[in-house]
Amino acid sequence: MLFSKLFRLLVLGGAIVGSASGCAGPGQAQPAADKKADDRDGGASSDSRSAQTQDADGGTAQTQAADGGSAADGGGGGVLGW
Amino acid sequence: MDEVRRLAGAAWAFRARVEREASSRFARLADAIPVFDPASPVPDLLRRAAGDEDRHALLCAELAAAYGSPAPASTMDVRIAPRSLGPRDAVLYEVVAACCITETESVATLATLLAEQVEPRVRTVLHEIARDEVVHGRIGWAHLSREAAARDVSFLSPWVPSMLAGTVEDGLFSTAAPAPEDEELLRHGVLPRPRKKEIFLRTLEEVVFPGLEKLGVSASPARAWLLSALRHVGA
Repeated sequence: MLFSKLFRLLVLGGAIVGSASGCAGPGQAQPAADKKADDRDGGASSDSRSAQTQDADGGTAQTQAADGGSAADGGGGGVLGW
Repeated sequence: MDEVRRLAGAAWAFRARVEREASSRFARLADAIPVFDPASPVPDLLRRAAGDEDRHALLCAELAAAYGSPAPASTMDVRIAPRSLGPRDAVLYEVVAACCITETESVATLATLLAEQVEPRVRTVLHEIARDEVVHGRIGWAHLSREAAARDVSFLSPWVPSMLAGTVEDGLFSTAAPAPEDEELLRHGVLPRPRKKEIFLRTLEEVVFPGLEKLGVSASPARAWLLSALRHVGA
């Protein structure tokens, strides 16, 4: 019960909020030349407890490799919460 | 009792830190989104959410101090997107990790705690935070929904395991017997580990994964990662 309510409240409710002001354009991303890794990672320490960067752990690195990314070239992390 | 108070204080001090970091992240993401989606309502919501998180951090820090564990005042804004992603994809990665996964899990945890017998002061704090966290979770689904309507977001799918791996705290999947102080900790707003694991898994299976799939992000790699993580600890 809690979880189906959460799905409606968050996922469906969020989709409604997202559609409130028209749509995002597909071609408005910054050019590839602006894709500087340090724009996103610069100055960030890797020792935070609440934002963890994924190391090259078996399954994760393999699935990333299928998409062209890899843990070795700066794998993504996640955010610890409650 | 001293051990319960120490553990409760540490948990609330950690939450204060989590809330501060969320504030910094939300403020940064609010500035990034208008570059590619100027009509989005999400940046305003993120700015409001950043203010909420500052307030939550204070509430958590006050509780931590009441349990004898002052929360550290410093904070860091840690960027978590993979380096191979461009700016727009990196924003989407971070919004999904922070809001669709972490905030959604937080709402489930808060709702579970509020259904329990907790100390009155703890209940007041939980209630105030829960009200805002619903909005914060919704922000992530709003942004993913807009992006999914505008372009292919399936590139995220192989990255969801990394988001999950970074969300899970050490020992969450452990099959170790509950600690004697677990039930007592519940009164102070801290879920026993087996309960936390159950809530985490059900939220993934019934909210996060279906939500991602509804919006064009396959949850298959995430399900495989979860299965592997559970097998690894023999759960």
